Amino acid sequence: MARVVLKDLVKTYGVFNAVNNVSLTVNDGEFVALVGPSGCGKTTTLNLVSGLIPITSGDIVIGDRVVNDLDPKDRDIAMVFQNYALYPQKSVYKNLAFPLQMRKLPREEIDRKVKEAARVLDMSHLLERKPRELSGGQQQRVALGRALVRDPAVFLMDEPLSNLDAKLRVQMRSEIKRFHQDLKATIIYVTHDQLEAVTMADKMAVMNGGYLQQYDTPAQVFAHPVNMFVASFVGSPAMSLIPLEASTANGNTVLTSAEGWSLPLSPLNARKVQKATTRKVVLGARHSTIKLHKNAVPGAIPAKAYTVEPTGDVTFVQAFLSGAIVNISVPPNVAVAPDQQIWLEFDQDRMHLFDGETEMAVKAD
Amino acid sequence: MSTVAETATTPTRRRRRVDGWRWAGRIFLALMLFYTAVPMIWMLLTSIKSGFAAMQLPPQWWPAEPTLASYQKLLDPTNSVGADFLRFFWNSLFVSTLTTILGLIVAVPAAYAFSRFTFPGRNFLFFSVLLRNMFPAVIFLIPLFILMRWVGLVNTHGSLVITYLTFGLPLAIWLLKGFYDNIPIQLEQAARIDGATRFQAFVLIVMPLSVPGIIATAIYSFIGAWNEYIYAYTFLSKNEQLTLPAGIQRFFSENTTDFPGLMAASFMMSVPVVVLFLVLQRYFVRALTEGAVKH
Repeated sequence: MARVVLKDLVKTYGVFNAVNNVSLTVNDGEFVALVGPSGCGKTTTLNLVSGLIPITSGDIVIGDRVVNDLDPKDRDIAMVFQNYALYPQKSVYKNLAFPLQMRKLPREEIDRKVKEAARVLDMSHLLERKPRELSGGQQQRVALGRALVRDPAVFLMDEPLSNLDAKLRVQMRSEIKRFHQDLKATIIYVTHDQLEAVTMADKMAVMNGGYLQQYDTPAQVFAHPVNMFVASFVGSPAMSLIPLEASTANGNTVLTSAEGWSLPLSPLNARKVQKATTRKVVLGARHSTIKLHKNAVPGAIPAKAYTVEPTGDVTFVQAFLSGAIVNISVPPNVAVAPDQQIWLEFDQDRMHLFDGETEMAVKAD
Repeated sequence: MSTVAETATTPTRRRRRVDGWRWAGRIFLALMLFYTAVPMIWMLLTSIKSGFAAMQLPPQWWPAEPTLASYQKLLDPTNSVGADFLRFFWNSLFVSTLTTILGLIVAVPAAYAFSRFTFPGRNFLFFSVLLRNMFPAVIFLIPLFILMRWVGLVNTHGSLVITYLTFGLPLAIWLLKGFYDNIPIQLEQAARIDGATRFQAFVLIVMPLSVPGIIATAIYSFIGAWNEYIYAYTFLSKNEQLTLPAGIQRFFSENTTDFPGLMAASFMMSVPVVVLFLVLQRYFVRALTEGAVKH
């Protein structure tokens, strides 16, 4: 296993910048998820690390070697593809043996390693089958086996679960996580599903438009998103983002809505708002930090329930505030009807404030 | 009750309608079969008649005295007709096989490059490859003859091989490119990560998967060369060099034509093509990349 360092990584296609100055360090044994919407550059970044596409500028270090100009085969990596890319003409056994044969290992050692990998992944009975005779989950396992049979420095995984059905995906998710814990493997994992990133990864790198937005532990990213993109991308249902304007009333800083209501701020939040470059401030709040009242309460904002979605564990209520959709979760025993008048109370300690111009989170100091 | 009645009647009604179309299809296929098979059967029947019986009117639908004399004559190297026929056969086999092998050697890497790599002038090259096929082959007959005479290739099999390659390669490249386009690029990428060089990935992973395409292309170029008449007739004038299509016409002569011999030769000329198809057809039906990737 080894660490991976990306330094000012750039990939351009003509005038289009697919990856812009991405720098991050994946420590030895760390599970890092590259996450973002499609076209954000996460798969391109992975392919740059693999060597399948050449970099435009920057450096890639795997272990202690700069691998910028090395062929994929010389980078000591293994990759799991989104569509598995199993060799269709080869049996499962030969699929697993191929990376070892390419490295000219003795026959007995190949046999031992293939059987060991098959045992670990519980597919010893499938070794003689061809990929087309396997189910989707089994094919996925073979793809994983082909990666781990060689004991590489880094595992690269390109949306390995996105072609599985929902139930199998959850199961394989925990298997891959277990696999990481057992092997202490360095893994770079690309996904568009923020839930996969949050649940599996030690650290997540949120990307958008070819830029790295935030690189931190899932808990930190969730609790302290650096900008509005990260705030809305991580977490489900998405964080509500309400555009407001900062103003002063009776010497106190408040956020006022075009709808006429205003929200008083705690001293800390007031200091944050004063740091913004503009009077336009976006209030961010996760569904669980908004309290729903059925009666008017001091400090609570009046709204009308728009839709009500019971999920069993919690019920999600949607309302409009200042033209933005606001998600609120309530216990299932709280009955709310569409179009019912409700009052929303925001948690001052857990609300997020963003600069309306730069879309960056504003900080008090 | 009503649902039961509906499910009971709907399938029969639907089946009857499909039956009508199916019968129309069968009749059409039967007519096509008749159209293609009858000349072949007549060729075969004539080839086992005597010279006199072949000329009778009304025709003998079934030969009264079937004989293999024509075949014996053609396959007997000691008589002059047989010696000529076997020589023509060998010439055809040589020219067609050489055309096929050389064609594949060029077409396989060319098609792969067109399918996988982007390079300057790629589209221009690809469509210029097709330009030749926009004109009928005969247009090039005189220019190519003059060219061949100029480079001293007239009366050599090389002139035919070069000409057939000129005509066969563009389509062979197109055909093969289609096959390579259908092989997921991730397979090569996986191989390269698993420790293969680009070339190894091509040889070990992509080549085996493109076998159906290579065989289809081989058959196509072999048949093209095997059946070609007008260029062979123009470029070759020495008896010992003629290929079968050009050679067979020597059975026609001013006063008499040996129809059974002509038909026997024609029949034997079609044998290699049929055998080629029968031997190789199993490669067409198998979808080799099945199970490679999940969509």
